[in-house]
Amino acid sequence: MIRDITLGQYYPGDSFIHRLDPRLKIIATLVYIVALFIMVDFTSYIFTISYMAAVIIISKVPLSFILRGMKPIILILACTFLINLFMIKGGDVLLDMGFLTVTEKGLRTAIFLATRLIMLLIVSSMLTFTTKPIMLTDGIESLLKPFKKIGVPAHELAMMMSIALRFIPTLLEETDKIMKAQLARGADFENGSIIKRAKGLIPILIPLFISAFRRADELAMAMEARCYKGGDNRTRLHSLKFTYRDLIATIATVIMVAALVIQRILM
Amino acid sequence: MSIRIENLTHIYNKGLSYETKALDDVSLTIEDKEFVGIIGHTGSGKSTLIQHINGILKPESGRIYINDTDITEKGVKLSDIRKRVGLVFQYPEYQLFEDTVEKDIAFGPLNMGLSPEEVDVRVHEAMELVGLDHEEFAGRSPFELSGGQKRRVAIAGVIAMKPEVLIMDEPTAGLDPKAHKDIVEMLVKLHRMTECNILLVSHNMEDVAEIVDKIIVMHRGKVFSQGSPAEIYKERDRLLDIGLEVPQAMLFMKKLEDRGIFVENNVMTMDEAVREIEKLLRKRT
Repeated sequence: MIRDITLGQYYPGDSFIHRLDPRLKIIATLVYIVALFIMVDFTSYIFTISYMAAVIIISKVPLSFILRGMKPIILILACTFLINLFMIKGGDVLLDMGFLTVTEKGLRTAIFLATRLIMLLIVSSMLTFTTKPIMLTDGIESLLKPFKKIGVPAHELAMMMSIALRFIPTLLEETDKIMKAQLARGADFENGSIIKRAKGLIPILIPLFISAFRRADELAMAMEARCYKGGDNRTRLHSLKFTYRDLIATIATVIMVAALVIQRILM
Repeated sequence: MSIRIENLTHIYNKGLSYETKALDDVSLTIEDKEFVGIIGHTGSGKSTLIQHINGILKPESGRIYINDTDITEKGVKLSDIRKRVGLVFQYPEYQLFEDTVEKDIAFGPLNMGLSPEEVDVRVHEAMELVGLDHEEFAGRSPFELSGGQKRRVAIAGVIAMKPEVLIMDEPTAGLDPKAHKDIVEMLVKLHRMTECNILLVSHNMEDVAEIVDKIIVMHRGKVFSQGSPAEIYKERDRLLDIGLEVPQAMLFMKKLEDRGIFVENNVMTMDEAVREIEKLLRKRT
């Protein structure tokens, strides 16, 4: 049940995308997100969608796995879609239901915005699907290095992130286990009023918090016992290198963005 | 209650590259009042198997009958099944959440919709069965108890629901020898007193062999062999082949046999081994 959440998970693989430099993947994802917001019309979607499709196909992450991660945001998507659909006025009236009217501009904006949101989510989850958490944080740390001079604790931030990411699946598994145990004791999470259901969460949340604190404590002890000290002069097992693969990916991304910008200027 | 499982198959992560067949065409029968040990390696499918018996996991295919009602059919009230089949998970102390021992044990019975008086009676009974003094422990926080005591509180929480089938997944895992022995003795006492079915899951045959009526050995998602402890004893070579931990007394007797000293009786426990060896020595002198 709860294991269906794929957001932030890693999908094991050895594709071209998996082997890219994490720094490049992070920057490309950020660039892509910005690109999503400079899109103007239908043609610009061709560029961004084909770029995204290419990434998905090359990475060999199954579409069903990606779509499963979309489930939690269906409600948010539906809300934005409906609000845009009814609130934005302009162009021909397509549907008139008295106090609610659907106009051409409203429909267009609603569809564009919804696709934009979906693409935003897919691309950012592609980053975690194809990048091992440890690589991801290595990448972030390396990207944050220049800011160290102005007091940004790059290494500590990266370490905190990697620990957080590392424990998402563990805590999910733990939640699943505790839920099952309380179900076996006759707990009911699905029926009753909202207040009753909220109260029903207590038997899950308390054990979960306790185990999270216990794990944090154990981890801190284990790190301490191995004389962990973050920061300067630490070397890495895998140092990041920019290869021909990264060059190809960079060129592809630059072409996509350039196409968008040129198209926007021409409009 | 009798439990009948027919051709049960369960697959984790179906459709993904890392899908695994945890149970593969498992069929078995457990008679009323029987005390059954389920043994196997980690990953042999024993935990997956028991989670099907109270409807927490749904099978890919196959049927599970409890007293001739098929619980895999749609429309079966799972809450009724869960009242009758109690399941104590591995490391059950991690599921404690109330601020007192008493309240935590009462959680299950209250969910069953029993009256406060009845719940109170059951909490008393359950605490006595697991060997926790009511006066001393009832008002204490479960989080300040020792590991073994926490484990007993968690077990009492399930016993208080008075299930007709009690399933225990590795109830002695991670306990010290004394607490270990206490729990095993508690199970024997419980079985004698309540006459409920007990399914004891373990990776170690030593725990199970002395106390159960029947042993089911799981290996790679299949039933590897099943029968009375004596019948399983005859298959010890096969068990050793799959690398299962067998009782030390059994290993010792096998070594004797390999050297040509033959013992007739099936030896499973240390006591039996001592008796047989004494007999042998007496014969020689």
